[in-house]
Amino acid sequence: MVASLAAAPGIASADATDDYPIPNRMLKTTCTVDQYMAAARDTSPIYYQRYMIDYNNRPVDVENAARDRIYWFFSLDYAGRRQYSEDTATNVYYEQMATHWGNWAKLFFNNKGVVAHATDVCMNYPPVDPTVWNWGPNERPPA
Amino acid sequence: MTGRRVRTAILAGVFGALVVVVPTVAHADPDTDFANALHSHGIYGQKDYNAWIAKIACERLDRGVDKNAYDSAKFVAMQLQKGSTTEQAWQFVALAFQTYCPDKQVLLRQVAEQQPN
Repeated sequence: MVASLAAAPGIASADATDDYPIPNRMLKTTCTVDQYMAAARDTSPIYYQRYMIDYNNRPVDVENAARDRIYWFFSLDYAGRRQYSEDTATNVYYEQMATHWGNWAKLFFNNKGVVAHATDVCMNYPPVDPTVWNWGPNERPPA
Repeated sequence: MTGRRVRTAILAGVFGALVVVVPTVAHADPDTDFANALHSHGIYGQKDYNAWIAKIACERLDRGVDKNAYDSAKFVAMQLQKGSTTEQAWQFVALAFQTYCPDKQVLLRQVAEQQPN
């Protein structure tokens, strides 16, 4: 009994892998945030829609912080993203953004299929297109 | 699919939906009406999923992501179950417009008018 328990997999659940918690394709993509979101809008429309509805329900300062944070993540190279994945996997408090909005990066990190489909085609979209943040029936009217 | 067959499918979808008989009993839930109408065209799948896709098709036009009914049909075709036909995609679009954004139905009439006899 003890022996069989000891034979458990070598990777402790708290450690990151090259595909967890952030999917490998997200660590490696060279697309911009805007390209990725436009691709997700077309390839996983309901997933994108639900993310944007959630986003629209956040206070403006949280929206702004989430946007800044994901642009920062995309500014990292592979090694930096891999390290970030490790940091968030091993320290639940590492990502301060998550304390304000638990699902702040859901569109980007949480679903391997969504990431795979979007990163397949994201290079075909304009690198800069901030309108990808304006979506959903509950979008806040411009101030 | 040949150009001629595509045109036939589009026309069948557009006109088929335009002549859909309006239900005599108003339903409290448009998603249910929409699902029932889809079923009559052999389009199944989850009710909530189809309703999401239909409403998103409307929003894509509102936002200018899609420019016309052809774009809408292309978007919908990507979301329908594998094996769905071009005709079904157009029927879905026509019913979606009718149910969720009737102001967009003019786009279908434009498509119909553009078709050569």
